[in-house]
Amino acid sequence: MSKALEFENRRDFLKKLGTASAATLSMGAPRSFSDEIEQPEAKADCCILLWMGGGMAAPDTFDPKHYEPFRKGLKVSDVGSTFPAIPTSVSGINFTEGFEEVAKVMDKGTLIRSAVQPDLGHILHSRHQYHWHTGYVPPQTVAAPHIGAWMAKVLGQRNEAMPAFIDIGQRLEGVGEKEELKAFHTGGFFGSEFGPFLLPYPDQAIGAVQPPKGMTPGRFTNRYKLYKKLMSEGLVGRSGSEFQQESMLQSMEKAHRLLSSREAVAFDLTKEDEKSAGKYGKTRFGQGCLLARRLVESGARFIEVTTEYQPFKHWDTHEKGHTTLKRLKSEIDQPIAQLIRDLEERGMLDRTLVVIASEFSRDMMIEGVPGSNARDQTTHKVDVISELKHYGQHRHFTGGTSVLMFGGGVKKGFQFGKTADERPFVAVENPLAVEDLHATIFQAMGISPKTSFDIEGRPFYATKDGIGKPAMEIFS
Amino acid sequence: MILKAQIAFLIAVTSFVSAKVDFAHEVLPILKENCAKCHTNGKYKGGLSLDTREALLESETVELGDSQDSLLIQVLTAQDEDERMPHDADPLPADSIATLAKWVNEGLAWEKGFTFKKKTWRAPLGLKKVDLPGPEGGNPIDRIAAAYFQKNRVQPPAPIPDARFLRRVSLDLVGLLPSKSELEKFETSDRGVKRAAKIKQILSRDLDYADHWMTFWNDLLRNDYAGTGFIDGGRRQITGWLYLSLKENKPYDQFVRELLNPTAESEGFIKGIKWRGNVNASQVPEIQFAQNVSQIFFGENMKCASCHDSFINNWKLEDAYGMAAIIAGKPLEMYRCDKPTGEKMDAKFLFNELGPIDKSLSRDGRLKRVAELATTEENGRLARTIVNRLWARLMGRGLVEPVDMMSNRPWSEDMLDYLAWDFAKNGYDLKRTLSIIVSSRTYQSATVIASKSGESFVFEGPSAKRMTAEQFIDAVWGITETAPGKIDAKVERESEKARAVRASLVKSTLLMRALGRPNREQVVTTRPADLTTLQALELNNGREFVNYLNRGAAKFVAKKERVETLYLEALSRLPSSLEKQVGHEILGARVTPESAADFLWAILMLPEFQFIN
Repeated sequence: MSKALEFENRRDFLKKLGTASAATLSMGAPRSFSDEIEQPEAKADCCILLWMGGGMAAPDTFDPKHYEPFRKGLKVSDVGSTFPAIPTSVSGINFTEGFEEVAKVMDKGTLIRSAVQPDLGHILHSRHQYHWHTGYVPPQTVAAPHIGAWMAKVLGQRNEAMPAFIDIGQRLEGVGEKEELKAFHTGGFFGSEFGPFLLPYPDQAIGAVQPPKGMTPGRFTNRYKLYKKLMSEGLVGRSGSEFQQESMLQSMEKAHRLLSSREAVAFDLTKEDEKSAGKYGKTRFGQGCLLARRLVESGARFIEVTTEYQPFKHWDTHEKGHTTLKRLKSEIDQPIAQLIRDLEERGMLDRTLVVIASEFSRDMMIEGVPGSNARDQTTHKVDVISELKHYGQHRHFTGGTSVLMFGGGVKKGFQFGKTADERPFVAVENPLAVEDLHATIFQAMGISPKTSFDIEGRPFYATKDGIGKPAMEIFS
Repeated sequence: MILKAQIAFLIAVTSFVSAKVDFAHEVLPILKENCAKCHTNGKYKGGLSLDTREALLESETVELGDSQDSLLIQVLTAQDEDERMPHDADPLPADSIATLAKWVNEGLAWEKGFTFKKKTWRAPLGLKKVDLPGPEGGNPIDRIAAAYFQKNRVQPPAPIPDARFLRRVSLDLVGLLPSKSELEKFETSDRGVKRAAKIKQILSRDLDYADHWMTFWNDLLRNDYAGTGFIDGGRRQITGWLYLSLKENKPYDQFVRELLNPTAESEGFIKGIKWRGNVNASQVPEIQFAQNVSQIFFGENMKCASCHDSFINNWKLEDAYGMAAIIAGKPLEMYRCDKPTGEKMDAKFLFNELGPIDKSLSRDGRLKRVAELATTEENGRLARTIVNRLWARLMGRGLVEPVDMMSNRPWSEDMLDYLAWDFAKNGYDLKRTLSIIVSSRTYQSATVIASKSGESFVFEGPSAKRMTAEQFIDAVWGITETAPGKIDAKVERESEKARAVRASLVKSTLLMRALGRPNREQVVTTRPADLTTLQALELNNGREFVNYLNRGAAKFVAKKERVETLYLEALSRLPSSLEKQVGHEILGARVTPESAADFLWAILMLPEFQFIN
């Protein structure tokens, strides 16, 4: 075939691309509804969400209450926290024992103690997680995008060779509630271009951005080169391509670039020098934090690192709460603090928003909130503690949850909102609903909570119905 | 102490109000109820039009940012009854006026694209017999298309050769690539009616047909073998019923009746999906029923109206609740934006003009009645909606777009009316309609890129379609001989052992999800057309796909005439001499499993392979 013909086809294609794109838009691809919305000035370029899936009990982590050590015969109603309070680097703000390292960096961030969640009745973690991650309570009439997808869609990639939305540590196969987890680990109606790049095992992350196992870089490059040659001889080369086919080739090109890019090294934890890697510990979560730091350095937009949600594991304590949390805290305390220190040391903390959050809190006594019809799901329904396994936060609590934020323009050493000193430990000051928490995160990222896209002819907002209101007090 | 904390908590929560007034949810209802009658949609008393934001600004009754100086607001509070608006009615309540004033102060936010002006074209409900244009005989689609092309000065698209036709029709009707021998036989046959005979033969492959269309119907009816809701019995499959219905080519009216007034096997559809816990009023199973039935069978969007009167179409809250009440076990209270209204709604069918649903009927009686109303021949919308969906599947774009907005005008009313009429008059036979479409010269033409889009769209020929995840994976499994050993779907397939496992019948995998198989938590009627970067990554180094390639390569090495065979199997054509040359360049002088895998990959990544051209 002649080169001239190919050129003509390409030009023809470019000419038609305009109308063709418009055609796809009219066929239901999301279109921005909100040209007139004024976007706030971004305080951060990227966001790391450290996800404490399973319900991180505030009274045993960042919001200490009356402490009673374990003893047989202890009345459940007498216990607020199962860990004693410890001071942090900010006077007046205490954490609980086991968070000594994070306590040291409290002076670099803001602690929100008043996040609240709606009463959804009989509690299902993944339903609250869906709500937390998308801003919408399921079921929904359209597939709601994850907040990472919102950032990917509205803000785009920071670096062309780096996926915008990366999810570290959560398996979607082989775990309980996996179907429910899949429902929100998605780009939703934005499409898979904006969906999560899944890296369930941080130490194997490099595999996801390398040529397939067993293929040398040379063979990989050659395969692509010959593929392109073959294509120029094929139907597309000969008869011109339709725009979808052209977009397919662009996607292939992008994928190839990613897989052979210098940035791929960021995914390789073995490239981190041993000393600094050691500071993150050997756990999956610690490795995930280290990976997140490396990826943010290389230009990722949104990264979620999770302690991994698995029903009845980790934070999801229906029994043995105290002992489970003791172990869990020892695994995450150091890496969280190290991540903050590393980001600061590299001068990146100011433009990186780090959020530590969970779908709700937990309580020793109350399921849901006072007055809820939620069914009590604790394993041992005892009023008096006779064994260690009874000692812990074994009920799901939606009335007052802690969220810790660093960087991205948030105040340093600041506390926002508070919960009652006595049970029920509900938020009594500045309660922050999920849409408002999202609005706050979006504010830092330069996205208005009223940002919306057209899906099926109606607007779909970044925060529910566009009503999310950022807590401006937390920004300096 | 406890009580005190709770009260403080409640006060703090309820004192949270949104900063900016919301046009759709706050302003629009006020305008609709009080102003629209005299100042919109052709009636513009006093010269004031509220149709659009622009019209309102032109009226000069609004000073942006200054409600006190805006006539629009001033007239609401005027002391003089003659001056006060609305005329001959009570003054607006203070909170409504405050909302409007705030709206003006904040710059008159408007929902983009919203207008009060009604569309002049109204979609007809009844069936309509079309007098076919042009000379007698010939495919009706071609006769309508010929007249259409002439009227719109469109050069009819060029016909396609046999091989291209066979690949397209086989993928479209049964989701499979034609085999090498099938292709050779077809191309060399000199029978004059070989395409007609082929269509008939393909459509008679009942199991292949059912396997393929499971994908389409599972998407529409939210049926899957795993998914949200199954965890606590909040969902039920209709797999066995659906498969059997497709295999038998069950008349579509009966199919719909069995979904609406179900047996134990088909009741999963109206049951909906229930996640554990309390559910927002606009997403309870009754409302899911209203939304899904309206969308799937009639191409109407009831999602806005499930919460408040819609501002994108004419449906009202009452319409959504009327549909929901059909299935409700007890009288259903209406909720507006998740707040109870105190009103209860009686059961009412979407198209009220077809007849009432008797108040005295039990739930079973109502379901029987709605099945009747949905499928009565007077309800032409049932037929129009499904023939339009089939057209869109085969031709790459609907007669009406989007396919879920059937009140939009089709680019050819004759084409839609004819196909709907023919379908209804001939026993709601889905295969018949498919056959008419694929038998047309119009279908058997080269794909085109439409030069006009949106409302000014002009049909110039069929467009290329991207393979669904299932079509792609079936093709890959076929070529690499790597289909898994068993299906997950509980269906009755004769001689199961001898039949290839189809992607539509197994649980979704990471690869399938990456390629666009939806979670089926929502109704999906159109899958995304583009290959995204994340999908391309999965096809470059995803474990599942690489595994198929490597296993396929091991077998490929032993084959004869490898390059030719792969081209015939994958692309239904022989390679050109240059392609052959490049093929051998990839394979190398001594074919190894590695070079074979690379060649397989290169062919499977061609747009020509991944698109149905």
